[in-house]
Amino acid sequence: MSLILQALINGLVSGALLAVPAIGFTAMFAVLRFPNFSVSGIATLGAFAGYVAYGAGLQVVGSLAVAFVIAGAVGLVLDRVAHLPLVKQGALPAAIASIASGLVLENVVRLGFGNDLRGYDRPIARDMHIGDIRFSPQQFETMAVALAIMLAVFAALAFTRIGKAMRASADNPELAALKGIRPQRIAMMASFVGMGLVGMGGMLLGLDSSIDPLTGTRILLSIFAAAVLGGLGSPLGAVLGALLIGIAEEGAVLAVGSAYRAAVGFFAILIVLSLRPRGLLGERAF
Amino acid sequence: MNRLVGRRTALLSGVAAVAAPSVLRAQGEPIKIATLTPLTGAGGSYGPVMAKVAKAVVDEVNAAGGVLGRKIQLVSEDDQTNPDAGVRAARKLIDVDKVSAIVGTWASAVTTAVAPLCWESKTFLCTVSGADSITQLPHQGYLIRTQPNTVLQITRTGDFLVSLGAKKIFTLVPQAPFAQHSIEIMNGVARKAGGSHGGLIYDDKKTTYRTEVDQALRFGPDAILCAGYMPDTVVLLKDLYRAGYKGKIIGQAYAINQKLIQQIGQNEVVEGVYTYAPSVAEGSRALERVKKMSGLSDPDPYTSQVYDHVNMVLMAMAAAKDTTGTAIKDNIRKVSQGGGKAVDNAIDGIKAITAGEKVDYAGASGPCDFDDKGDILDCKFRYEQIKAGKPVLVKIA
Repeated sequence: MSLILQALINGLVSGALLAVPAIGFTAMFAVLRFPNFSVSGIATLGAFAGYVAYGAGLQVVGSLAVAFVIAGAVGLVLDRVAHLPLVKQGALPAAIASIASGLVLENVVRLGFGNDLRGYDRPIARDMHIGDIRFSPQQFETMAVALAIMLAVFAALAFTRIGKAMRASADNPELAALKGIRPQRIAMMASFVGMGLVGMGGMLLGLDSSIDPLTGTRILLSIFAAAVLGGLGSPLGAVLGALLIGIAEEGAVLAVGSAYRAAVGFFAILIVLSLRPRGLLGERAF
Repeated sequence: MNRLVGRRTALLSGVAAVAAPSVLRAQGEPIKIATLTPLTGAGGSYGPVMAKVAKAVVDEVNAAGGVLGRKIQLVSEDDQTNPDAGVRAARKLIDVDKVSAIVGTWASAVTTAVAPLCWESKTFLCTVSGADSITQLPHQGYLIRTQPNTVLQITRTGDFLVSLGAKKIFTLVPQAPFAQHSIEIMNGVARKAGGSHGGLIYDDKKTTYRTEVDQALRFGPDAILCAGYMPDTVVLLKDLYRAGYKGKIIGQAYAINQKLIQQIGQNEVVEGVYTYAPSVAEGSRALERVKKMSGLSDPDPYTSQVYDHVNMVLMAMAAAKDTTGTAIKDNIRKVSQGGGKAVDNAIDGIKAITAGEKVDYAGASGPCDFDDKGDILDCKFRYEQIKAGKPVLVKIA
């Protein structure tokens, strides 16, 4: 029993970290209407940008801000140059182009930093125990940061003009344009914020483990599965999806063995697409 | 009649004139061999220097006149420590470059994927991968490996743990061709010594192993074998430390090394951790050459093994007076074992072979003698323990 409870807690922690890039991914889909797979490269870039900032003496929050800005800016440029010109031909060409730009980014990072593993120079502490259950103070810290980021995103979507404009544009681009919301501006905003979140997600996931040029590629499937599970285009759905994927991945270790973790993501996508293609919360639920 | 003969002679000489340049061309054409090493991915810290040393051997032999009067051209590709990428690169090497031998495949999953392409195209493959299943493939002799197989490696590691007093051993191993077999072999070793054993196969792409570590610790082990690669082992060791595990830990030296220590950045996390590795031929002249070629004061076993691969392949060509993969297959054991003049590099070997002598190569990684399946017959192991952030030699045995 305590084994299951422990796996549940571990799953919630990793799910919370996964939720940050998943929100970014799904928000971009809502506005730009194509799955942007360059999140793999952007997550890696964010992780390395944060790593450099952290090494230069910034604290975790400051480094996250650096990761956000750099990942957002690069993501925005890639969207403008490589992806959005193809969206007119359909979502698929743009999605394929985004796979390519993800690969390019990964290798640009490799060119600059090499293949070596790097770790944030954070002290590693022993866990605390409450009965049979282990808690890692650091992982809860990281989780708290992730939750704070999510809250900020939802507050911005709910209360700020630009957030409301983004939601309106995602809901009905033509109507939003009629109301004077400039779709171009919203698209740029979505690219920047979405990719910024992905970049922060890359750093958050790397904080307690380690980073290398393949960091983003390793989590790409989980991000995609979380977004699909929650309903592509729904930020709240992405959070729910990420938590469920996190728990399912940890639960899979107990149920079928750790080696089948990768199957969890594919299995989730398969079930959602065949039983409830809109995802848990539907496509455009806020 | 005379005119007829004259015409025939003229025709013949014409044919000869057309044919001659192509014959000359063939003689001048370089012999192509390839390295397929992980320049990126989990093996990315080994592949580049492996390719560098292979190139150095080829340059050296070319400077001494090449093989059979022809220069050797080395093509280097990246397998990205990934079977898909490895197969794509091997296809290019085989179909486009038409190499006669590929050396240096590192990860067992990559070698397993690439090997069928090699034996089907009669391309010779030398690998440093350890999974038992590799030499059990129907490779028809087109494969040798210089790395001891899983049985040898895990048995020696298990014996070492038992000699340290371990009674309850747990094996944590990533999903790889050697995974299940590693667990079974360690199980046998532990039980034979009167102890018990548990094991778990994990996914090496996870960012946390808390649940896996929980499962391992529930077994109450006094020694844990972490048989993974470096990226996953970093996470695993951190999570074992966080969980408060204080027993023995042992892992492959390719995963637990100076880079890992530096990466973890906190000495008490890795304090006392043991490592094992097939040992290089300490004190041999070949190893000294590898040191010079690689620029490393302490070359790893894979770099030493690739040095041996290239030397043996080139000597086998000289012994066969032919450069095809099949010629290498049929002659590699004639230059690697069975007595004769002891040589430790291809230049001396080729000279001796040209002079009609039988040679027996022993290189930087060891004696390099192979059984019929392509496994090496003998190899020493090197055990180290990390103390205050530095690996300290325990023994070579």
